Amino acid sequence: MADLTEELEDESSEEGESMTAAEVLQKLEEAWLNEKFSPDLLEIKNDIVDCMLEQIKEMEENIRRAKKGDFRVGIHKMEIDRIRYFISSYLRTRLQKIEKYTAHVLEQEKARGSDETPQMSPDEYTFAKEYSENMENHFKVLALRHMPPNLQALDPKHTVMRPNLDSYVFLRVNEDTAGVLVEEETAEAGEEVIDLEKGDQLIIRYRPVATLVESGAVGLI
Amino acid sequence: MFGEKALELIKELQRCLDGSLPPFNEEGVRQVLEEMKALFEQNQGDVSATVAGETGLFAGVQLRHAALERNKRCLLAYLYNRIQQIKKMRWEFGSVLPQDIRYNLSEQEVQWFNRYNKCLANYMRSIGEDGGLDLTQDIKPPKTLYIEVRCTTDHGEFETQDGNVLVLKKNSQHFLLRSECEHLIRQGILEHIVH
Amino acid sequence: MTTSCSNYMSIDDIISTNERIPCKFQVQVQRLGFLDSSSDTDHIQPNTKLELPFWLATALCNRRRHIVAVDMPKQYKEGYREILTADANVVDLHKLGPYYYTFGSHLLCFELPETPDIAKSLLQTFQSRLRKIMDASQNAYYEDTTNLTAKLDEMERDLFKCGQQGLRDFQRWETRASEQLKTSEMVINHRKRKRAVMEETS
Repeated sequence: MADLTEELEDESSEEGESMTAAEVLQKLEEAWLNEKFSPDLLEIKNDIVDCMLEQIKEMEENIRRAKKGDFRVGIHKMEIDRIRYFISSYLRTRLQKIEKYTAHVLEQEKARGSDETPQMSPDEYTFAKEYSENMENHFKVLALRHMPPNLQALDPKHTVMRPNLDSYVFLRVNEDTAGVLVEEETAEAGEEVIDLEKGDQLIIRYRPVATLVESGAVGLI
Repeated sequence: MFGEKALELIKELQRCLDGSLPPFNEEGVRQVLEEMKALFEQNQGDVSATVAGETGLFAGVQLRHAALERNKRCLLAYLYNRIQQIKKMRWEFGSVLPQDIRYNLSEQEVQWFNRYNKCLANYMRSIGEDGGLDLTQDIKPPKTLYIEVRCTTDHGEFETQDGNVLVLKKNSQHFLLRSECEHLIRQGILEHIVH
Repeated sequence: MTTSCSNYMSIDDIISTNERIPCKFQVQVQRLGFLDSSSDTDHIQPNTKLELPFWLATALCNRRRHIVAVDMPKQYKEGYREILTADANVVDLHKLGPYYYTFGSHLLCFELPETPDIAKSLLQTFQSRLRKIMDASQNAYYEDTTNLTAKLDEMERDLFKCGQQGLRDFQRWETRASEQLKTSEMVINHRKRKRAVMEETS
């Protein structure tokens, strides 16, 4: 299938270093797997999503121009379905996390410095805000405003749901990384530090490797 | 014991975790709020008495306050878990709920559903440059472009992407583009045949 | 037993925190005598023994307040711990539970002298029962599993279900059934109920 996607190489890439469509698709697959298996909401890969949607549009255009009965049409359509599945599943997974941890992701967005990249796309942010308002309003109208005055507020200490960063994940190492602090020093045991070698696969607590997932040094599987 | 009515609401949901939603228990919610009101008023009374010099009321106030917090938690959890079910319905039934299910929702829940519908639709429309992307489709990875399906009910006419019109009659079988009939399968109108 | 921050809305957590604990009142509690159904005094007197739900016991007995003193429920006391050490696999945890582990971990917050032993016992019990549960969940495909799960506590039942689901998914994948597009579960259940109603009324 490589030759098919290559001929549809993405020329509009603004990154300078132009990536082939196959490479972008590869990136999308990685982002999808990471998002699927990480407990936390990761940074949105908006350019990849937009680029692949653009790709689909071009492929559909090509199909429209193709001669009837061209055997490649079926393969192209299949490829479109596959790409669309990756994008949908990726965004759907993110939306589920946003709905579950709404207050938490909004809190983080608020605390973000102006030089840091946001976790959510602007449209995801709008969705999160509307979702949170809708939920709070629901609580208020049906319950909170009928309660005694000192109980009418939601106590964020109890009600804000946060992802469990200490859950375990499977990962594959993409780049050699030395000196990962896995376990802080405790009264009973010393600290535990490991070196990751490219190609290694392991099960590990998410928290110590969270930054490596974002940077791409490891990928979740 | 305090908090028992509130626990009843929670147990009512526990019994229905298979995806059904019991009618909104307005009476149960009202009774919990009533218990809270009574607890609060007794506490207020004890607090004023303490201010006036009476002693030994502190323990009772603590006990009632714990009961107030417990009732609050149960009530919010009742609303929250119902909403989770209702949200799931948006993804499984689509943007219009069957009449008999809608009937079990409170007025306020229907409003929540409509707002959710709207903000989900806005979000999905915003994806990409033009037209957006329906995220309620493509639930499973595609394996083939066309699939064989059988109709489970008389559904009527159906226009395919390339402009052909076919009649979906009960027990008739068709060979369709997977992407254009997935939602009909999810709604139980078509059945995917795998050999 | 992962620490989860999403407990406030959890149905299981709410129900498990309603389990009762033997408590002894340390002070008089005025105007709440009716909570003790065995007496008809207006106030709860010091030294009154009552079984209180966990949610209330924690509010009345913690680092700041000592309105009641708590005792451990008998299924977490030494006698039962010894039985579990002898052979945890034969014990009906559901009868002792049904939220044996969850409720047990809640109890640790009281920091009693026997707390470390309870924690150890919970962990050991879980470890020694886990293998059997996983084995059973991977080897009982078409069988009726109610007899296998009858003696499991709620958390163990969830684990068993996970194991079964994994096995089922794998077999569906092997037979290529996983690619079949299916009607949504809610839609199916909704139809079943509707049919049942129609049969009842006809």
